[in-house]
Amino acid sequence: MEAAVLYNVPHEVPWKVFIPLYFYFTGLSAGSFILSTLSTVFRIKLFKPMALPAAIISFVLLLLAPACLILDLHQPLRFWHTLVPEYFNRTSALSFGSWLLTAYPIANLIYIYFIFVKSDNVTRVLGAITVPLAIFVHAYTGFAFALVRARAWWHSALMPGYFLTSALLSGIALLVVVAMIMDALRKEKLDSQLFKSLRLMMIGILLTDLFWNASFWLTLLVSTADGYASIMLAFHEKLYTIGELLLGMLVPLVLLILPWTKDNKVWLCAASLLIIGGVFLMRYSVVFIGFDVPLS
Amino acid sequence: MTDILKPKGGAIVVGVEDARPSGKTSAPEQPKPKRWGMLVDQRRCIGCHSCTIACKSENNVPLGYWRSWVKGLQTGNFPDAGNLYLRRLCNHCDVAPCVQVRPGQARVRREEDGGGVMYYGKCIGCGMCISACPYDARFFNPIRHTADKCDFCAARIDQGLKPACVEACVSRALVFGDLDDPRSEISIELASIGASVIKPELGTKPKVFYVQADHRLMGRIQFSNDFDRQILEYDKYIPSPKASYWKKGR
Repeated sequence: MEAAVLYNVPHEVPWKVFIPLYFYFTGLSAGSFILSTLSTVFRIKLFKPMALPAAIISFVLLLLAPACLILDLHQPLRFWHTLVPEYFNRTSALSFGSWLLTAYPIANLIYIYFIFVKSDNVTRVLGAITVPLAIFVHAYTGFAFALVRARAWWHSALMPGYFLTSALLSGIALLVVVAMIMDALRKEKLDSQLFKSLRLMMIGILLTDLFWNASFWLTLLVSTADGYASIMLAFHEKLYTIGELLLGMLVPLVLLILPWTKDNKVWLCAASLLIIGGVFLMRYSVVFIGFDVPLS
Repeated sequence: MTDILKPKGGAIVVGVEDARPSGKTSAPEQPKPKRWGMLVDQRRCIGCHSCTIACKSENNVPLGYWRSWVKGLQTGNFPDAGNLYLRRLCNHCDVAPCVQVRPGQARVRREEDGGGVMYYGKCIGCGMCISACPYDARFFNPIRHTADKCDFCAARIDQGLKPACVEACVSRALVFGDLDDPRSEISIELASIGASVIKPELGTKPKVFYVQADHRLMGRIQFSNDFDRQILEYDKYIPSPKASYWKKGR
């Protein structure tokens, strides 16, 4: 030890578990919404039975997400300050985010209504308008981290992309579980082709997520001292290595690829549940490993 | 922001008309804008922590929280050992990361003196500015339930006084003054000695300058031979290793 710290003041972490939960819920919501638009906007007939349940799930999760955000505020009754146009701060991702988070549920609700009354053309237009909102409402959370230059673990151009792909991943995994429940309860069975394409999408996005992770490791390992410290801390964090990487990504990937588990619905469900948990751990580790590196 | 909410004439007045008497006959003359800055001369610092105490009593900072503090570091082995100190406070950046990320209008740079002040009545307590500060100078005030930080004792400056820490310093290690005034003490000192700022690579343009501050104290983690051990066992090297308050968020 070259130098020992005699006295220092590390301030406490300002955020609680609600913040990763909020990212998780918006991610799930954006992912399910994009899946819902696959049939309504992009006219893929295969996903037709999923359009309404996916949209409803996405709306319900959107009610939970801002609740988490407001619960984490230390002045919860002042949340409306972010929606006052005079207070708008154009350099703050959170300012954009609060407007998006208000506009998106409203657009989502109108979209659900028009799926419900089965007017396909209106749904198509509304879906096409709401898809960018769904993408931005989640990408802004990635930008909220990427724009913090103080913390090497967050300050990365990959962050918004990583957030978006994991949002899509968790949305698909949730929809797989929901489709299985629907399959068990309803009389007419779902097309097995639907599960196959959902499985292939999950494999593709899992590989993309692993690629993002490898890019993070490589860039941080040859980065500044702060970056190196964050990746060393991440490698020693069991929630990150065992939780997110092994149980949340590698095990589901193996389950989805291996020939004797890939067509079994029980294994598919297990892999989806693991992915749903793993994406939450991803949000958790992104938020809290960033705070592990001391700045003072 | 409406005109009522803007600070007037340097006084921090939120939602209240300017209380200071102004001449009725002539328009009040605009004071020349100031750019307050601080110079911390580490050659003179003896590590007595008077500035920490003065800050706490002046600003009524709750127990367990500090707006400013003195970081201490012990180096070398006996007999070649040394104690190094670094005064830490809000660096009052010209390009402030906390102002960049805030979603409300609580944390602002005052136009007339460039000092960063908080409007506590507008803070929504989202914690984004605390996460974004590269100097870890901000914290949640557990009594006020908003973010809090050093504001160069804005209430004292507006009365023409110096910040409490500058008044309390026993060895005159802290120099406070107007950076735009070439005849102020801080400008003269800065012109004649080599001073540095913390983390200049982030481009935040801090207005707190340090003289002869050791690089090991500057807040960056240092590459060293036992880097991995130092990082993974960091909590062993803060004063009370069992203290968990700094990880309360988890």
